[in-house]
Amino acid sequence: MEKKDKGYNRRDFINNGIRLALGATVAGTAAFTLSRSATGKDYVWQIDPFKCTQCGRCATECVRSESAVKCVHAFDLCGYCDVCSGYLKPGAKLETGAENQLCPTAAIQRKYIEEPYFEYIIDEELCIGCGKCVKGCSAFGNGSLHLQIRHDLCLNCNQCSIAASCPSDAISRVPADEPYLIKGDFTKGEEKG
Amino acid sequence: MKKRGLVIVVLVILGVILGVIVVDFLNNRPDRRGRNPYALEVDQYRKVDPSLVRYRETRNFDLGLLIAADMTLYNNHLYVAGNSLLVKISLDGTPMDMIEILPGATSVEVDDQQVIIGFRNRMASYDHRGTLLHQWAVPGDSTWITNLALKADKIFVADAGNRRIIIYNRDGEQTGEFEGKSESESGHGFIVPSPNFDLAVNSFGELWVVNPGKHALENYTEDGRLRGFWDKAGFDIEGFLGCCNPARIAVMKDGSFITSEKGMVRIKIYDPSGKLISVVAPPELFEGGSGKAPEVCVDDQGVVYALDFDRDRVRVFEPIDN
Repeated sequence: MEKKDKGYNRRDFINNGIRLALGATVAGTAAFTLSRSATGKDYVWQIDPFKCTQCGRCATECVRSESAVKCVHAFDLCGYCDVCSGYLKPGAKLETGAENQLCPTAAIQRKYIEEPYFEYIIDEELCIGCGKCVKGCSAFGNGSLHLQIRHDLCLNCNQCSIAASCPSDAISRVPADEPYLIKGDFTKGEEKG
Repeated sequence: MKKRGLVIVVLVILGVILGVIVVDFLNNRPDRRGRNPYALEVDQYRKVDPSLVRYRETRNFDLGLLIAADMTLYNNHLYVAGNSLLVKISLDGTPMDMIEILPGATSVEVDDQQVIIGFRNRMASYDHRGTLLHQWAVPGDSTWITNLALKADKIFVADAGNRRIIIYNRDGEQTGEFEGKSESESGHGFIVPSPNFDLAVNSFGELWVVNPGKHALENYTEDGRLRGFWDKAGFDIEGFLGCCNPARIAVMKDGSFITSEKGMVRIKIYDPSGKLISVVAPPELFEGGSGKAPEVCVDDQGVVYALDFDRDRVRVFEPIDN
């Protein structure tokens, strides 16, 4: 009977293959970690205000009971709500009485700059990130009110639950050293670039 | 036997977990979610009383590769500026002629004498064969020219960036400028929150300027004194809605105004005193667009030509009485 060559059999091949795969995984992970620490790049979730459709899910889908998404006002872009009605209820008088305001929690306060220009300040304790004011501002005004994920509140989950349900893919990871996509600022950046 | 029972229990639990995951996945798909509890409802304002709509869209025509910036009507022809071209089109949509212009046009006006093109912060004049006659810079850090109007030897230029009307002669020399301000309460000056700032000279030679922040049309003398105005703000069909409306205007030969609104796009006609006469195009005709106000022109028969920037087409609206 012919004697089988036991120098390198199938079992050895599989074992070596597993060792190789494990080695490659460890090396890859180490290289990835080293490259991240070398470039200093870390990533956080953020909303692209130009893709956002103000669907209301930022208010309901965040894992935090108080959503990490808040409205912000790009002051240098527009502050003409007094002539626009963008943050007031449709059909309401152009007056800022609480009964006329669109915000369901009265989170929008304003500061007089010059007639008829105001800076709109969002009370983040009250804002629930529903985007109702953003919808009005985008539909009828210049879109200076927009939603952003606040990183002092965001837990930076591996998979953002709002991003998973966002119908317009408006939420993605951005470099942590540029964590906000404020309309006035990064629009100007694009113009310069 | 005991082991078999345990297996069945584990399988049932796994089945329930899998079922919950599948149901949750299907129900949470972005296209299968329930109604947004925070939705801003404005659909009621999109509906227009059909008796007010006294125009119908009869045809439209393509502008080919041209990315249009502005349009004007002169001598029964449309002139559309875009890219580095000015295209002359007959009222039935047939391209008639084309001249090469400097790139970046924002506005165009044509009269017997010249073709005047406005750019963001400069101006140029051409003869009707396309020869460049003059070009000049418009001073100012934030100059943003949005529209032009012509009267005799005067060129009225609307500069949205600096909220002013500048007056030039045909050689490009500045002869005047005004901001719409006066001592009276109504003379606040132009409020221009965005680059939507239009003006027109009607068949009686009157200069009308839109004050978009006040939802007003204001009549000025040629040296910038306010003679009269009317304004209409509101969500309903009689008013102008949101910021910067009416974004564009045209004048009919009887002095009535064709107005074009951004945001909730609608085209309407007002008499010279500001009374709504009829609706040319209700918002439903512009559903799904960007909300940019179409440029509007009107011929002597009252036919309205709307340059739809989303479709890059000229849409023609004729009075139903015709």
